Amino acid sequence: MAGHSDIHEYLADFEDIPGTRVYTAARARKGYHLNQFAMSLMKPENRQRWLADERAYINEWPMTEEQKEAVLARDYNRLLDLGGNIYFLAKVFSTDGLSFVQAVSTMTGMSVEDYQAMMVAGGRSPEGQRSIKGDS
Amino acid sequence: MAKITAGVASSHVPLLGVASDQGKDRDDYFGPIFAGYDWTREWIAKPENKPDVVILIYNDHASAFDMSIIPTFAIGCGERYAPADEGWGPRKVPDVEGHPDLAWHIAQSLILDEFDMTIINEMDVDHGLTVPLTMMYDKPDAWPVKVIPLAVNVVTYPPPSGNRCWALGEAIARAVNSFGENLNVQVWGTGGMSHQLQGQRAGLINAEWDNMFLDKLIGDTQDLRHVPHIEYLRETGSEGIEMVMWLIMRGALGKSTKCLHRHYHVPCSNTAIGHIVLEPVDGSVPPSPTLEGNNEAAQAAI
Repeated sequence: MAGHSDIHEYLADFEDIPGTRVYTAARARKGYHLNQFAMSLMKPENRQRWLADERAYINEWPMTEEQKEAVLARDYNRLLDLGGNIYFLAKVFSTDGLSFVQAVSTMTGMSVEDYQAMMVAGGRSPEGQRSIKGDS
Repeated sequence: MAKITAGVASSHVPLLGVASDQGKDRDDYFGPIFAGYDWTREWIAKPENKPDVVILIYNDHASAFDMSIIPTFAIGCGERYAPADEGWGPRKVPDVEGHPDLAWHIAQSLILDEFDMTIINEMDVDHGLTVPLTMMYDKPDAWPVKVIPLAVNVVTYPPPSGNRCWALGEAIARAVNSFGENLNVQVWGTGGMSHQLQGQRAGLINAEWDNMFLDKLIGDTQDLRHVPHIEYLRETGSEGIEMVMWLIMRGALGKSTKCLHRHYHVPCSNTAIGHIVLEPVDGSVPPSPTLEGNNEAAQAAI
């Protein structure tokens, strides 16, 4: 933990990055069943059941109602807040037939076309995106 | 004796596998990315460079591991690994053949060096492992190299520190150097470079920082050991942390390195592509800091 005197400071820094939810232990605990639900969609028979009746399938999982509704709404920013991790959530948007670029762009408030154009032009600059407090 | 002859680093974006599998690897979008690997494909095919075994450092992306078990460092000691079904069917690429003799030797040596490895005998391997093979070897009927998968947790925080990764590389070099059979071994570090796949800040790319990182893999500087996690997060996006895996490769090359080839391109999907080929100049690594690691009787047993 170079640069940190203790674990509390190490973790507190993660809350100071604009538009980013670092997948900490706290989020991993909160999102455990959400992520395991997403993981279950790796199996074709589960994907079939999920697509046939999303609400019935998700009700089999011990998730909070808030998490279930965010999944049904494909609200990925909300899902990050509720403990989702992008590599697990990828199973949900892959099942919908979305690519990473298509799904990721929905979290930025940009259209897919504008997001792709930004990437081709060199991506989002880190300027002003490094710190909430420092605003750098 | 087995010897580490080179280190290779490469991004492992899944879309590169898709591009190769669908024959789009030379189109306008992917052409410039794959062109940067032409040098390496020629270099690695030459008999004097051709590795017998690659120790391939990568991370699993919710394929072989889910949230039920999260090993920090895991080494594959199995005979073979099939490409994983990541939700849209497994990639139609050859199975990956392991090297259990060397893998078990490394696993034992690392544990004596106080790296408490998780040992894996059976698992499927996802794009993190198969995409780098595609980038280096294109589309062969069988991969022309044996592979020892070494999976690192860079998903759930905290991942290992850069310093710990570098030290693991040094311990891998000690293990390879003490293996009796004559083998040409390469270490590959994969993942990165700058990218963020989540939240409002998604799409972040930092070419300046990425190129600083590439610069510092060359020569004898050890500055990268001391880059804290928060710097990767702020400067290179939430998924840029994968670059700590490149430091395992760098640590395994010893005291100083020479750059043979370097390639950088933006974008591929959400990601900055980085690729570098390094050769050890002075491959010496520090002796084992542990009692068992220096115990001749213990070493003779492995």
